[in-house]
Amino acid sequence: MFSKKIFIPIILFLLFILFSALFIVKQTEQALILQFGDPIRIIKKPGLKIKIPLIQNAIFYDTRVLDFDAEVEEVILSDQKRLLVDAFIRYKIIDPLKFYQAVINENGFKARVGGILSGSLRRVLGSDPLEVVLSKNRSGLMEKIQEEIDKEAVNFGVKMIDVRIKRADLPKANSEAIFARMRAEREKEARQFRAEGAEESQIIKSTAEKERTVIIAEANKKGQTIKGEGDGEAVKIYAKGFKKDEEFFAFYRSMEAYKKVFADSEDEPTFILSPDSDFFKYFNNKSGK
Amino acid sequence: MPWKENNNGKEPWGEPDQKPSNNSKKKNYGFNIDNLLINFLSKIKKIFFNGGTGNKKSFISAILILLVIWLLSGFYKVNANEQGVILRFGEWIRTTPPGLHYHLPYPIEIAKTPKVTKVHKTEIGFRTFRESTRFLSEESLMLTGDENIVDINFSVFWIIKDAGKFLFNIRNPEKTTKSVSESVMREVIANTAIASVLAEGRKEIELKSIQEIQLVLDNYGSGVQITQLQLQKVDPPDQVIDSFRDVQRARADKEKIINEAKAYRNDIIPKARGEGAQIVQQSEAYKKEVIARSEGDINRFNSILSSYKNNESVTKNRIYLETLEVILQNANKVIIDTKQGSGVLPYLPLPEITKRKRKNKNESNNINKNEPSNINEENVQNVQ
Repeated sequence: MFSKKIFIPIILFLLFILFSALFIVKQTEQALILQFGDPIRIIKKPGLKIKIPLIQNAIFYDTRVLDFDAEVEEVILSDQKRLLVDAFIRYKIIDPLKFYQAVINENGFKARVGGILSGSLRRVLGSDPLEVVLSKNRSGLMEKIQEEIDKEAVNFGVKMIDVRIKRADLPKANSEAIFARMRAEREKEARQFRAEGAEESQIIKSTAEKERTVIIAEANKKGQTIKGEGDGEAVKIYAKGFKKDEEFFAFYRSMEAYKKVFADSEDEPTFILSPDSDFFKYFNNKSGK
Repeated sequence: MPWKENNNGKEPWGEPDQKPSNNSKKKNYGFNIDNLLINFLSKIKKIFFNGGTGNKKSFISAILILLVIWLLSGFYKVNANEQGVILRFGEWIRTTPPGLHYHLPYPIEIAKTPKVTKVHKTEIGFRTFRESTRFLSEESLMLTGDENIVDINFSVFWIIKDAGKFLFNIRNPEKTTKSVSESVMREVIANTAIASVLAEGRKEIELKSIQEIQLVLDNYGSGVQITQLQLQKVDPPDQVIDSFRDVQRARADKEKIINEAKAYRNDIIPKARGEGAQIVQQSEAYKKEVIARSEGDINRFNSILSSYKNNESVTKNRIYLETLEVILQNANKVIIDTKQGSGVLPYLPLPEITKRKRKNKNESNNINKNEPSNINEENVQNVQ
């Protein structure tokens, strides 16, 4: 029974040693082995690993792409416009030793990189006006910021994967100014549309009216020409017809004219006649002499 | 909870005594790993040193059965919508397609089977909770390239392209997808003028954004595949939307006034053509008429002339007398003998004559109305 009492603690102790010697580095991790706090080994490959129990301990760091979202930063651009910038960083820990020495853990890193990012944003964006920030150059600016941060991040054993500006907005007061300007621009546009409509409408109407006048005038021209042809034709016909006996025509036409002028007219004409006239030839003298 | 009824508040695990056993410490109910271990070891000792051959056999077969069960636990199924990711002591060693597969049993290897065909949806500018939608203006208001502001809601749909990458290359893939999408959209909008954003540029913005988001996510090695990006709402901000609507109205007004002008044109020009045609036709009619009349007149004259030729002086006299007869019949006549009256100035009461004439005219008005045909004809001719 005595040997049994000794045996059990020994087995337990051995198991404890075994389990503290073995450890797993996950796929998403890398490990730094510290011997009494002194980093001696870096494990980058995942799997089942061994360390010296009690003497060594392991610190794990993520191998994945890690995220850091910065606080919203108010940046003054070179044209004195203010911009609220919300940026984020994606990074990887590539050198656990440097990382451990410089910042110990992720929280330490975040505290440091926040300041670096903020300074870089102010420097890079502050040297450009708003038009540049709002343009194709934006990605160029982001690359510039990334380069700047990358230079410093090397000291932390970190590689910058990406630095991006998520939001770049104007402060509230500026937004109101923009809204006012947008409204003014829309009003201008609306007025222009209406004026253009009136313009085009006037053009169409006046062109149509011109066309109408031309059509009528052309028709009148043609009509007068036709009438003239008719008149001319009639003159010819009369001349030809009456030419047969000009003397009789003169007499006959005169008679017609007299009838028309005196007999058919509304007014009652008054004639002052001389008894010598031909009409009274037999009135004075039955022989007509 | 069946044990609660019969263990009188004792821990359910502390009841190894229920198994038939003659261990002397069975009455110790304390939950103590030492006791359990001692219990277990004493059993083993009993089997190995005190027990008969039958006990030994059954112990080995029990071990074997457990071993087989343990080994069998390595079979796993990958469904059609999944990918199998195998980890050996935490290390990613392989990815398996759908089907039945085997891995070394736990704890050596484990299998993860993320659903790769599931379409994830990331909403930006708004969140939907069941039926209701909440709008987030700080996410949706974006600056355009010409320093205007637009209100944009969009959804990004994505699937896991590579389960291994998705699981192991990136922390917070969902959040990263959202941040990148938002960042890229803002960048694209910042390169576009507001007019283009609100009108024809939508398709282009979607395409550009998808490409760029995919590029960035691939750069992270995220294993995420963007399948679709939908711009849901693209509006001017609420503060200025009325002005934008007024522009739409102005555009409609423009169309309307132009259409009215066109209608006016379509009204007056055909009418003018008709009027023109009428004028020409009336002229044609006049032409025909004057020619016909002249011919008629000549024909009449010819007839009279031919008759006249037969007996010139008689006819001439007859015509002369008949004409004067007609003329003088209704006329006022004053006959002055020139021989006798030459010495005296003949006095003509002209005003009186005129007065009488007027009176006659008034009286004869009714009669005149019965025979206005001459006047009418004259009027028609004048018009023509």
